[in-house]
Amino acid sequence: MNRLVILLLTAVAAVLVAVLPMLVGPYYIRVLQIFFFSAGLGVAWNILGGYAGYWSFGHTVSIGIGAFTAAWLGMIFGAGSGPWSMVLPVIAGALLSGLFALVIAYPLLRLRGTYFAIAMLGVSQVVAELVNNVSIFQGGIGVFLPSPVPSGMPVERFYYYIFAVVLSLLLLISWWVKRSRFGYALLAIREDEDTAMMLGVPTERYKMAAFVLSAVMVGLLGAIYGYSLGYFTTYSVFRLDWSLNMIVFCLIGGIGTLMGPVIGAALILFLTQVLLGGFLDLHLMITGALVVAVILIMPGGILRTRWRLPGRKPARGGAE
Amino acid sequence: MTLFLQTTLNGLMLGGIYALAAVGFSLIFGVIGIVNLTHGVFVIAGAYLALLFYTELGLDPLLSMLPVGALLFAVGWVYQRTIIDWAISRASVEASLVVTFGMAMILRNLLQLWFGPDVQTITPFYSFFSISLGPFRVDMVRLVALGSSMVLLLGLTLLLARTHFGRAMRAVAQQPLAAALSGLNVKRIHAMTFGVSAALAGASGAIIGIVQPFSAASEVAWTLNAFMVVVLGGVGSPAGALVGGLLLGLINSYTAQYFGPALTQAAMFLVLVLMLLLRPTGLLGNPYGESR
Amino acid sequence: MSEILLSGRGVTKKFRGLTAIDDVSFDIPHGAIYGLIGPNGAGKSTLFNLITGYHPLTSGSITFRGKVLGNMPIYRRNQLGLARAFQIAKPFPALTLAENVRVGAMFGRPGDKNVERTTQEALDVTGIAHLAQRRAGELTVGDLRKLEIARAVATRPVLLLADEPCAGLNPTETEEMVRCLRAVRDAGTTVWLVEHDMKAVTNICDRIIVIDAGKKLAEGTPHEVVNNKEVIAAYLGTPAADLPAHTP
Repeated sequence: MNRLVILLLTAVAAVLVAVLPMLVGPYYIRVLQIFFFSAGLGVAWNILGGYAGYWSFGHTVSIGIGAFTAAWLGMIFGAGSGPWSMVLPVIAGALLSGLFALVIAYPLLRLRGTYFAIAMLGVSQVVAELVNNVSIFQGGIGVFLPSPVPSGMPVERFYYYIFAVVLSLLLLISWWVKRSRFGYALLAIREDEDTAMMLGVPTERYKMAAFVLSAVMVGLLGAIYGYSLGYFTTYSVFRLDWSLNMIVFCLIGGIGTLMGPVIGAALILFLTQVLLGGFLDLHLMITGALVVAVILIMPGGILRTRWRLPGRKPARGGAE
Repeated sequence: MTLFLQTTLNGLMLGGIYALAAVGFSLIFGVIGIVNLTHGVFVIAGAYLALLFYTELGLDPLLSMLPVGALLFAVGWVYQRTIIDWAISRASVEASLVVTFGMAMILRNLLQLWFGPDVQTITPFYSFFSISLGPFRVDMVRLVALGSSMVLLLGLTLLLARTHFGRAMRAVAQQPLAAALSGLNVKRIHAMTFGVSAALAGASGAIIGIVQPFSAASEVAWTLNAFMVVVLGGVGSPAGALVGGLLLGLINSYTAQYFGPALTQAAMFLVLVLMLLLRPTGLLGNPYGESR
Repeated sequence: MSEILLSGRGVTKKFRGLTAIDDVSFDIPHGAIYGLIGPNGAGKSTLFNLITGYHPLTSGSITFRGKVLGNMPIYRRNQLGLARAFQIAKPFPALTLAENVRVGAMFGRPGDKNVERTTQEALDVTGIAHLAQRRAGELTVGDLRKLEIARAVATRPVLLLADEPCAGLNPTETEEMVRCLRAVRDAGTTVWLVEHDMKAVTNICDRIIVIDAGKKLAEGTPHEVVNNKEVIAAYLGTPAADLPAHTP
């Protein structure tokens, strides 16, 4: 695709996103709002997992830190109202999430593959437990955030626009990363970390940068999500299924690609919210089943799949 | 001093259970090289099954370890022959990990639908007994739990050391290709390993059911516990699981006593990260070589 | 050939009591093609690993461009101008050849450089420019070797350590590789290579260092080395006339 086509498509998408709330009902606006949020999570996870090859199984920890930081700030300094009142807490949520990542990055990024993935799972469990059980964090009883929605505006429309803007911002960052020196370093790290070092890539520094950037992005989304909930407890934001979802979006759409997470999120949310919206009890199962199916059927994701032809299976694992 | 010793005693008893709950996870990691994130679900499923046997048939949880183990053996076998085998022949290591993560979600959801989200416990008649040994107090259930764990771990040790299956399993772990070339049915041994692992997880679940409250959501904690036990003790051997389990139990017990129960997970995890950084092969190392 | 680029003094490496490299000293001057030969297990790759920083030294010191390397991180050594091509090619399989090489050109030795031009030059000098858009995972052994050299060259090294660049290549490919290494040298990069193929070594190298069982045995021109009695006894174990012409 050439530049003009992409530019044109982007413009059309922007106009569509802007006018869509005038055309569809509140339920679908809410679904779209969740879609933007979810796609944003996927895009953020993809920076670390897709570009750098460090699969985190505990990224939900950044959602939690972002949301709770915003709420704590509101409680300490007193919350204003109106859309501008959320700017500072949201930025603080993103930054604290990044700071936390910076602190744990040094030991955790020494681990590779499976060990890193599970260590992150552990981090998310431990932080959730601390937020829940240590009373000053108030995760057990829950925290409030005042509504920043301007009077007269429907709530779902407000968050729809905010999440749309944030998703665009995250996509822009991801696009920039992918085509920059930073992105090349991450790809080299993913492909072969030792060789990357041998080619003069300061791998430690870049891994850490990707980890922190990814955490800041998720923290940002988490803080806004906290506002959209208004009241939440530990386990409404430290949710294990989200850690899985971020991976799933990328896997389905195409891991390491720019738009893969967005496409994956669109597909999953269409399935779970629109087609199976009534089966709330089964969401965990549906997501799980999708992951398993996708990995078994098209390991490269939609954007990367060369459809498997019979007899062209990669030779692995030996004869039957 | 008495308090310290009592805490130590509690930690060791808890550790025995950790060891049993983790040994299957360790076996799969050591023999097949897969981190099975479904492991915690097997543990919790064992607890639920034991609960079912107890409430419906009045079967004592310790006795129900047998049928529970047998059922889960079948589940583990089938699971390996289908999903796991498909995943490792098609996807990367990380992707296989995601498959087990996804399966854990599915199974957890199933358990929730079936048994409800509430926290459960199994309370046989000896639940409220305790023995006094001088100044120390030992809960009957914990003692029984520890005893059964030791018996099962010993049984597994003998299985690995003395039987044809045990030797075959060690051969497959060390040299899969050579083992296959010398006529061992590697697929069958992988399936057996999964079966044994799930059976032990289920049995440990039956014991955990009488010692601690559980719910479908606690499966993650048991998977993570198993991972920590393996990192502390080393991969693939009952002895390693025992060392790791006891250590984890002690850390848990001391932290709960001296720093507060809210911090136990954090403390256990801190030790895990330190261990991974300082001695990645665990205290007893990996008997199957260091390549994993 | 006057300025000393890389020098080692009393370089020693012990692995759990086993001495892999024992008190080896060397001086590699600017502008030459040096050879490093020795029987299997003599410690050739270990010596390269010590120079590039994969293992710390047990004792001794290595100096590169006037700087003591000590425990300088691997990537810093490359940025200083030390590149390494591995014996077993380690491509970035999901990336194209051009992208593989571009990583080297983007990082590597800093200085004012045009990434695209450096990439193109490295592809040209190794003769794989026509494959630039193919994925590295799809290449043959011979092309992978060239990619390995191209990527190292793209970091604009002052010294290139090449670990058996001709291993597994057929005679035609070996010929091409020799031509390629000469071109790299002519462009101003000093080359030090480990090689089994005696014909290639004697053909291309200005000077050769011989090690055996971790110890330095001899150093000299190919002619001197091949006729050195100790070398013949320890390394070849056969008269010089029976030198293997080509070891696959």
